[in-house]
Amino acid sequence: MRRVVNRRFELSGNSHFRLLKLSLIGKFVPVGNLRGGPGVRCLAVLSLLHYCGYPLYYVRARYGHRLQVFKKILDKIRH
Amino acid sequence: MNFTTYYSLSALISAAEKKIAGKKVISFDLFDTLLIRRIHDPDVVKLPVARYISKIAGTYDISLPAQNVQRMRDTIEQRHRAKTGEQFDDHEACYPQYMQELLVEILKTHYSDSILDLVTTYELTMENSMLVPRSELVAWIQKLHQRGKRLFIISDMYMPGSHLKKLVEHAGILDLFEDVISSADTFLAKASGKAYPMIAERYGLTASDWLHVGDNPFSDGMRAAEAGIDALIIHDPREDQRKSIVKRYYNYSDGRAFWRGRLLQQLMAPLEDENKEVAPLYAEGYNFVGPLIGIFIQQLAEKCRQNNITKVFFLSREGWTFKRYWERVVPLLYPEGGVPETEYLYVSRMALAGASCAHQGLTKTNADIAFLPSGNRDFRDVCRIFGLDTDKFTQVLNHYGLSADTCLSHIHDGYLPENRKKFDEMLGDREFQREVKSQTMPANEAMQRYFAEVGLFDHERVAIVDIGWLGTIQRFMFEAIAHRKDCPRCYGYLFAATRGIPYPECEKNSIEGIIYDRNRFDLAASTLFYARDIFEEACRAPYPTLNGYKLTEKGYELVFRQTDDDVGQAELAQDSYFAPLQQGIIDSAERYGAASALLNYGLDDYKAWFNSVLVNKLAFPETGEVARIRNQHHLDDFHGRKKPKAFFNKRFTVLWDRSRAELRFNPLLRLRCFFYHLRERINE
Repeated sequence: MRRVVNRRFELSGNSHFRLLKLSLIGKFVPVGNLRGGPGVRCLAVLSLLHYCGYPLYYVRARYGHRLQVFKKILDKIRH
Repeated sequence: MNFTTYYSLSALISAAEKKIAGKKVISFDLFDTLLIRRIHDPDVVKLPVARYISKIAGTYDISLPAQNVQRMRDTIEQRHRAKTGEQFDDHEACYPQYMQELLVEILKTHYSDSILDLVTTYELTMENSMLVPRSELVAWIQKLHQRGKRLFIISDMYMPGSHLKKLVEHAGILDLFEDVISSADTFLAKASGKAYPMIAERYGLTASDWLHVGDNPFSDGMRAAEAGIDALIIHDPREDQRKSIVKRYYNYSDGRAFWRGRLLQQLMAPLEDENKEVAPLYAEGYNFVGPLIGIFIQQLAEKCRQNNITKVFFLSREGWTFKRYWERVVPLLYPEGGVPETEYLYVSRMALAGASCAHQGLTKTNADIAFLPSGNRDFRDVCRIFGLDTDKFTQVLNHYGLSADTCLSHIHDGYLPENRKKFDEMLGDREFQREVKSQTMPANEAMQRYFAEVGLFDHERVAIVDIGWLGTIQRFMFEAIAHRKDCPRCYGYLFAATRGIPYPECEKNSIEGIIYDRNRFDLAASTLFYARDIFEEACRAPYPTLNGYKLTEKGYELVFRQTDDDVGQAELAQDSYFAPLQQGIIDSAERYGAASALLNYGLDDYKAWFNSVLVNKLAFPETGEVARIRNQHHLDDFHGRKKPKAFFNKRFTVLWDRSRAELRFNPLLRLRCFFYHLRERINE
């Protein structure tokens, strides 16, 4: 027995990790038309959210108000 | 401030349980507390409504793009909020008022209250499809209800309480609440804190007896505390994670078409109590086969509208699943109507093969089709397929130096090319064809009576829908009715067209593969070749195949295959094994319809993602997946049971026919099979 969506909000039987594997295969073998594919940055962000999202958002929810200083530093780096 | 924030529902509920003893009243915020949305941004739900209004306007020859409708809606809503702000502290708006104004502005004299009702119903349907009750909270509320607590829902929302009640009713929890209160009714909202005293006065509540639960620290927390109410705030990081993931898929799909299909699946995903533990095959049906059928059905509906098709015939037996999917998806995708009627048509290759010979005789191409399956060897197999009596051809066979058992297939022992030439000559023999026609005429007549009864000849343009792969059923079907003057224009749509043999297209008969068509090179989608049978078995109706049409005094009779033999029993066992898979497919239908209606994407948008799904699942499957999804039995009466030459069985073994050990321990097997597949497709 399993759930259709797991606790990391991945689809059962088609996890994000499988997509990462296929993207890697696709770098060496033609796998068909994926209209540009997933993109490395998108994959990286989504990997972070699927696999580390909960602890990150927990810290943000719990201590977000104390982390404003880091947010300001990040904003400065981005702009 | 007298409110506390909790970071999980269980923590909030256990804290609330400690406070509840002295409380008589518990109120809940609705959105993001009691009900969560599948989509990260509630405004996205307004977009399909704008498209719906645009289409309604189109029926009155008013051309107004959906973006303009949405812009007008926003402007009018803002105007209403500003006007409310002149009299009240809260800048609230009331949906029926501003939606009526919007519709009057767009439709002018064509406006009527029934149109407002239609639009409201559609908006509520879309909202309902995106809302899910939080199971942990609902279970707790049920306990509170049993303990006799007074329960309320309080929401700052543009929809009035009567509309919100419909959403809560759809969630199945309306009975638990004394009332559902919306700021749209009074323009007194939680945001200003004015709602709390108004509710206390209206329902005779005392602040000290009252506990409020919500997600907004300001309106549900601070404002409630200011009114003397104990407030508990939920800030669930799991929800933050979920919404953040949906938001990324949504944003990425705007620039990268690849993510559109993934976004669709994320919006289809079951949440909370919907996401129960299920059989692994159910999950495969929901996450893999179901959405593929959804894309097929959506594109089919689109094609029907483009070609002014007035009736869709879903061919048995896979059409059984397609039709059920259509019935669940199409009303959500096309709320304005304008889609063709549908019919399930009892047909099969075996039933139609004979009927197709009644007017044209047995053609060389159709005889060639009979020899495509490796188990068919001689004239007896031809007679079995086309429903002919072998004995009545003895004389004509002898005349051409053949017998019923002469080998006519090159992959069987005893094959001589000259025998096949003699057979082809015999096909040109008038006596032979006269006998073929006379034997197949009753089946054809019965078939025509059946087709007439289901209205096939009442339409000028019809769609013939089947799973695939060569289009043989439609070929036989069209040949059987082509002689009629009222024969409709037949648009054939296949889930996938592998086209092993050229299809005889003409101005009244065409065929097209939707997910895959060999006429369009599509490597990723061609991975369907890996395991076509699983799609057939997954979609097949749970009853025996049709063997033929029989003339009766009253008209006709459909003759179904018996299920008491080994093959019939094996098919029943396969049906029962795949039952969870089929359930998963059907359960995915409504969520597909709602998600796709929300996104307004079509086949081209979803294709890239589902190409990757097909490659992942079929060309690079996990060992357990192959063992699970691989069909155990597959009936095809078209195939004979004669054994071809040994070399034929020594050909390359496809991935899905490999042993479990090989799949698990041979690291390069999938890659080797994929290269073999690639070479086959390029050489086609």
